[in-house]
Amino acid sequence: MDVVLQAPRNGIARLAAIHPVLPWIVAFVVLLPLPYLTTNNYQIYLINHIGVMIILATGLNIVKGYCGQVTVGHVAVYAIGAYTAAVLSVYFAMPFWITLPSAMIVSMLFGVLVGFPSFRLEGAYLALATLGFAQAVEVFIRVTDYLGSASGLGGIKAPVLFGFSFDTYQTYYYLMLPFVLFAIYFAFALLKSSTGRAFMAVREDPVSAAATGVNVRRYKLLAFVISAAYAGMAGALLAHMRPGYIHPNNFTIIEMVVVLLMVVLGGIGNIWGAIIGAILVTIIADLTRDLYHYQLLAFGLVIVGTVLFMPKGIGGLIDRYFVSRSFVAARDKTAERVRTQLDGDGEG
Amino acid sequence: MKRLGTCAVLAALMTTVAATAASAETIRIGATMRMISENGQKYGQMMQDEFDAINAAGGINGAEVELILLNDECKSDKGVANANRFVYQDNVHLVIGSTCSSVSLPIVDVTAQAEVPQIIPHSTNHEITQKGSEWVFRVPISARYYKGVMAKYVGENIGTNIAYVYASDAAAQADTEGLRDEMRQQFGVEPAYWGQTQEKEIDFRSHLLKIKTLDVDAVFIGALQEPMARFLVQSYEVGIPADVKRLANSSASNAPVPKLAGDAIKGVFFSAAYSDSDDRQIAQDFNQLMKERYDVDKVDHDFSQAWDLIRIVEIALNNAELELTDESLAADRAAIRDAIANVSDYQGLASGPISFCAESTPECRDGNRTPVLIEYLSGGEDFEVGILDRVTMPVDFGLE
Repeated sequence: MDVVLQAPRNGIARLAAIHPVLPWIVAFVVLLPLPYLTTNNYQIYLINHIGVMIILATGLNIVKGYCGQVTVGHVAVYAIGAYTAAVLSVYFAMPFWITLPSAMIVSMLFGVLVGFPSFRLEGAYLALATLGFAQAVEVFIRVTDYLGSASGLGGIKAPVLFGFSFDTYQTYYYLMLPFVLFAIYFAFALLKSSTGRAFMAVREDPVSAAATGVNVRRYKLLAFVISAAYAGMAGALLAHMRPGYIHPNNFTIIEMVVVLLMVVLGGIGNIWGAIIGAILVTIIADLTRDLYHYQLLAFGLVIVGTVLFMPKGIGGLIDRYFVSRSFVAARDKTAERVRTQLDGDGEG
Repeated sequence: MKRLGTCAVLAALMTTVAATAASAETIRIGATMRMISENGQKYGQMMQDEFDAINAAGGINGAEVELILLNDECKSDKGVANANRFVYQDNVHLVIGSTCSSVSLPIVDVTAQAEVPQIIPHSTNHEITQKGSEWVFRVPISARYYKGVMAKYVGENIGTNIAYVYASDAAAQADTEGLRDEMRQQFGVEPAYWGQTQEKEIDFRSHLLKIKTLDVDAVFIGALQEPMARFLVQSYEVGIPADVKRLANSSASNAPVPKLAGDAIKGVFFSAAYSDSDDRQIAQDFNQLMKERYDVDKVDHDFSQAWDLIRIVEIALNNAELELTDESLAADRAAIRDAIANVSDYQGLASGPISFCAESTPECRDGNRTPVLIEYLSGGEDFEVGILDRVTMPVDFGLE
């Protein structure tokens, strides 16, 4: 256990000491051969899907985990990102390199819209308001012919770069990977910045945060906007992945529950937790697809169980392991020092 | 750590053994369908039972058929995931799916890219075969044929002043828009009313009250089973008179509709691929079999289409020259595609012959061209239907 957890941690710390971006470059290089380690294209398809889910869950973690805002509207912003990219690709023949940033910008604008209720609402009330937004977006897509309505929107082009088309799951992986790593890197950078600390201050106690000079409204809105940018990126990446088809059924409240499960199981407010959650939930959902009748029930029970018995999720457990390990190491070191001193005194 | 390593080696060995066992003289078929309703599960069960029966009788030219059955819940992302698993992980020779058009549509692209034959059991959306994939075949009747026969019969026998309401699913939308377009083309009329309902909406009276004021000849209802039954019941609750004909898309064929709608189903007119009041011996035998096996009193056209699909697959597999080795997978898939394309004049439960051909056009891949015009005579548990006519449509109908 020590080797499995501690060695990478030490390695990352050493690399980060040289340059903060270096661990991410190493991670990129290490992950490059992943498609060649899989046994078939389906596994690469799943990895790509996990990539989308990591971005989506990390985004949700920023607004929910860091800033403490209970939103159920994340899936709607995800849908808006996906449909923005799809519309620009299908109707205006725009390349991925324009549709992706456009999707992020449009999603951020809607992030502002979702964020406004947070000025006056909190907890369950904010969840209800954002739930209404999520439902409204889904219904709007479902009845709008231009968006493919109930038939879905197909024909979304694969990304092309200098004539090279990312039209297979394998090539798409190499397009996806930098975006996923950048999304995680940005989340870590944000957490360590003054903005990240302000988010956490708002989460812990908005009144105290305001008393210490934090502009609570501004930071709440900023959390929603950044989170929406993540959702927009995830949506655009989903839309352009083969077969290039999206449908309102992909953005229902059930999908929101699944993303929420990723964050809760992984650990609210823990970046690695959201990533672990996205990987675990996607794989478990795939392995248990035959048991779909019980899947949502099981997911719901896992959320309740995690909140009750493991409120910091898997990420919290790992953090606790390291903290207790550091504590034990420090205690042993102190004991050793005391023992040495006592031995010295005895000899004297 | 050592124990962990041993476990990993064992797991790898087991996987290799399992993969080797799966590849030996087995025809692998992956089926993805909507199996969230009782009937949906029975369609899947029937497929499994039929392939088991084929195996029990010696298989296909000595090879066993392995059916991998997955539920897609009528969701495109799950259907795409299932299709990807079938073609890349399970290395299937043939994909069956799906029930819902919104799932079949993206799967067509997956099977086309992976070059795996796909045969569709229930989806009617006309775009499925218009994508130009040389790997796709459709057993059910395309929406383009349904709309043609419905429009002609309605315009000539019922009237042209029609109100349309439809639910938010792909097939209902395609069927409703198709009939509206066909009424425009054949009779030059616009809808008297046009409305769409939301997903999970259960009160349709606001639409129906407006329709009541319009003095229409008929109301067309495009919906899946439960909402259609509600539409029909509520149309009487708001006072739309019985002489305003109720028209429906092919979902009206599904047995839950007359059971849920009760007397409100009487007089409802629709077109479908099969009616259980079909007096042909093959149909009567099939109805009896379904009753004995699955306790289904009234057999709907989704059962018959799934049955016809299995028979067509059986014929094609028997005719295909398959080597069934890992190396021959691509060639076997192409051979199955060609064998399905060669199925001609199949006479089964469908009301007319089903024929495919080699070109990747809708004319070749929409094999079933004979809708049945059906009217409900009574509703409830022991509902009755009457067949008004069977019409074989021109092969290129609806493609102009």
